[in-house]
Amino acid sequence: MSVLSLDALTKTFQRAGTVVDSVKLHIEAGEFFTLLGPSGCGKSTILRMIAGFEEPTSGRILFGDRDVTFDPPNQRGIGMVFQNYALFPHMSVSQNIAFGLEVRKLPSSEINTRVAAVLDQVQLSTLGSARVDQLSGGQQQRVALARALVIRPKFLLLDEPLSNLDAKLREETRSMLRAVHNASGVTTIYVTHDQEEALAMSDRIAVLNTGKIHQVATPREIYEKPATRFVADFIGHNNVVEATVKNASDRSVVIRFHNNAELTLDSQQRAPEVILTPGSRVGVCVRAESLRITTDNGIFAGVLTGVEYSGSGFSCVVSTEFGNLRMEIPSSVPLPAKGERVRLQVAESSLHMVAPS
Amino acid sequence: MKEPVRNRARWQTKPSSIAVLLLLALVLWGYVVGPLVSTFQRSMSIGGNPLSEYTPFLDFGSVQSEAVRGSLMISLLSVISAGTIGIFLAVLLNRWDFRFRRIYKAMVLVPIALPPLMGVKAFYLLYGKAGTFPQLLAQIFHTSPTTFALTGVAGVLLVHTLTMYPYFYLSVAASLAQADDSLEEAAYSLGASPFQAWTRVLLPMLTPPIVAGALLTFMSSMASYTAPLLFEVNNVMTVQIANNAASQQSLASAVAVMLAAISIVFLIAIRAYEQRTVYRTQSKGGARKRRRVTSPVARVVLFISALISTIVLILPIAMIFLLAFSENYSWRTAPLPSAYTLQNFTKLFSDADAWAPIRNSLEMSAIAVAGAAVLGVTSAYVTARMRFRGRGAIDIAMMLPWALPGTVVAFNLIVAFARPSVFSFGQILIGTYWIVPLAYFVRFSPLIFRSTSSSLAQLDPSLEEAARSLGSTWWGAFRRVVLPLVSSGIAGGVLLAFVAGVGEFVATIMLFPRLKFRPLSIAINDELNVGRWGTAAVLGVVQVLLVLAVVILMRRVEDRNTMTHTS
Repeated sequence: MSVLSLDALTKTFQRAGTVVDSVKLHIEAGEFFTLLGPSGCGKSTILRMIAGFEEPTSGRILFGDRDVTFDPPNQRGIGMVFQNYALFPHMSVSQNIAFGLEVRKLPSSEINTRVAAVLDQVQLSTLGSARVDQLSGGQQQRVALARALVIRPKFLLLDEPLSNLDAKLREETRSMLRAVHNASGVTTIYVTHDQEEALAMSDRIAVLNTGKIHQVATPREIYEKPATRFVADFIGHNNVVEATVKNASDRSVVIRFHNNAELTLDSQQRAPEVILTPGSRVGVCVRAESLRITTDNGIFAGVLTGVEYSGSGFSCVVSTEFGNLRMEIPSSVPLPAKGERVRLQVAESSLHMVAPS
Repeated sequence: MKEPVRNRARWQTKPSSIAVLLLLALVLWGYVVGPLVSTFQRSMSIGGNPLSEYTPFLDFGSVQSEAVRGSLMISLLSVISAGTIGIFLAVLLNRWDFRFRRIYKAMVLVPIALPPLMGVKAFYLLYGKAGTFPQLLAQIFHTSPTTFALTGVAGVLLVHTLTMYPYFYLSVAASLAQADDSLEEAAYSLGASPFQAWTRVLLPMLTPPIVAGALLTFMSSMASYTAPLLFEVNNVMTVQIANNAASQQSLASAVAVMLAAISIVFLIAIRAYEQRTVYRTQSKGGARKRRRVTSPVARVVLFISALISTIVLILPIAMIFLLAFSENYSWRTAPLPSAYTLQNFTKLFSDADAWAPIRNSLEMSAIAVAGAAVLGVTSAYVTARMRFRGRGAIDIAMMLPWALPGTVVAFNLIVAFARPSVFSFGQILIGTYWIVPLAYFVRFSPLIFRSTSSSLAQLDPSLEEAARSLGSTWWGAFRRVVLPLVSSGIAGGVLLAFVAGVGEFVATIMLFPRLKFRPLSIAINDELNVGRWGTAAVLGVVQVLLVLAVVILMRRVEDRNTMTHTS
């Protein structure tokens, strides 16, 4: 049974309109679940409704089988890490962490042990008496995490917790969050607009746009089998190329590109919403890393117009009759000169069909 | 699919929230908006043309339209002269470096401590009929002092200029301190001359603080009562209201409504202007460097102009202190009093009657501030954190008494509480002790509202949410997180309101009750009327010292906060 269910959750603001539109979600115990989407997609609003800071316009929120839709935040037993950390500036590190325990009126001996233990867990044992404004951004982040964890919450809610950190610290904090999740087993709901973060950390991801869920799946599935055109565009370096279904059987489908190149795909290589009838249009996701330069005919042809060195290789742009296609060229392969005409091949098995735009 | 159930926002149906909002609306109606409406009703004639009290305003020759013109003219001139002095001093003391600049900078703010009534009297005794300067000049030029005496509108303008320039000085100085040096440097690098840099870059950047200062000065000048009273300028609206408050109440009502309308327009203008962007520094770190003046002539000019301005600004306060040591009736026909004594001070501690007005004022102000703190903090929290229809109305109603001249506030209370009312628990408040603290409560709640609001605006709402998510009740989060973090804002407002209450004269003189409970400003007024200037000045000194004590206290609160909140 899922520990957290959102049932047709909708939030309409007077000015902004409907920012969350009948969202249905089931989150399992112990999951690291991510809400992913561009800014304004409603992901933070969902998190704030789970925490109890916003009230849904309609729909329900269930913790287990308990309806908490209208419970005040202090009766929900959740731990939340805010984007700007929201540490109490008039309290020391330890006082911040102890706050939730004091509110619960635990004996001071237990408060002390639990604060010490969690400080240890986030590697801040020496900074218990420090003022929060003396800490670096990364340390403040860890205090915020410790403060949320120490109350042993039912859920840990994280609202873009890495967005205020520099690149190196972000990596470190990312692995610490995973480690903390593994150690405590707390069901975690993570909000981010960074697809790389989401893919690296999550057990499952819900991709949202304009208040609607586009896909709920594992990171790999999201990456390899995007359910909608939006997901395909948002995740990874996908090129989406239009094609037409030439003929289709139960097992396989032949698609034809506008340059008359034809490919045979497995009919499972598609999003559920794609209908395979002869003559219908589909969008074919061609991932940047699955394109490669070929000496035979290939499928696409164009001129190399952009080259950026990315360390492990080159990120390139090839201008073709289908528009600009992004591709990765590894360092081991000879790099054509800019302006040179290239032919591109792609492995059929790496393709995926979504509804056309 | 079944039709989703529409949920109603929880707090809106919560009885406690509704009760707080209703109570707030009731208080604001009963003591702020309602009395103004009563005045409006009073101004409507019964029978005939209901607006007949307003027709004289359209008649160029009537006393009413003369008063409107007088008030507007004095206010406009005050804006020009206070603006000139304020901007000049701000630029002088913040752009160039010269000897004793820091001392001057501290001194130019001393006039803020000038007490309301005694301060204006000090101006009168310095520059008015038989004042120090006219007498000195008369001795030099062997003529009558009246030749040099500032009288009437000129005297009022002098008082306004030298008491209202801080509105310009403070806002312009703050802008200059924040102004980005690199903007000026960019102008020079693009080939601008110093003159062009000033007119094209710096002055446009100073427009917001100058406009803000002008709006405040205009509003304060419209509200000014004491200066026209002492310099015997009768054709201004405030004096007309006060003079007719008892004898011709419907005429006074119409003038009060007109003055209130003008003030409300300015309140709305100020609020709208506050919403607009302020130019802030964009570059990081590095305190701006002041120009070191190299030309010796320029240095002397700067030094002397700063010296003269400072002396002129300090003189009124110096006069109050000097008078406090002078014997009563010892000033007849010389530039200064002829005999000095400590008796005025010793009497304060030996004579219970002399001390009574101070005690009364402290008490009245304390009562008013206790109520104002509850109202100000509640309404600030409600308008900052709750979303409901009518939030803007509460905000405007809270700031209304700040915009209304003290004369109008007092007059509204006279009209509203001359009869028993629900809000006075069925009593007639006029003539009782309670009308005075009530007036202070109404007038000075906005100060607490404002300072609490701006503290709350700086407080990240997620702090409160963090406390809630950690299990705090609303009250727990308010008490343990919000209150400690806005306490300095509340304290600042409370101290300001308290000081303002202790010195309040304009409303008090219209309302003051039986002699037994004479507040401080009334005692000063009485002593001045019988010529006991020394006794009056001692009470003025007490007011100045109180302001200084509060300023020092606020500094300490601020220091403590910066110590704990930043490293």
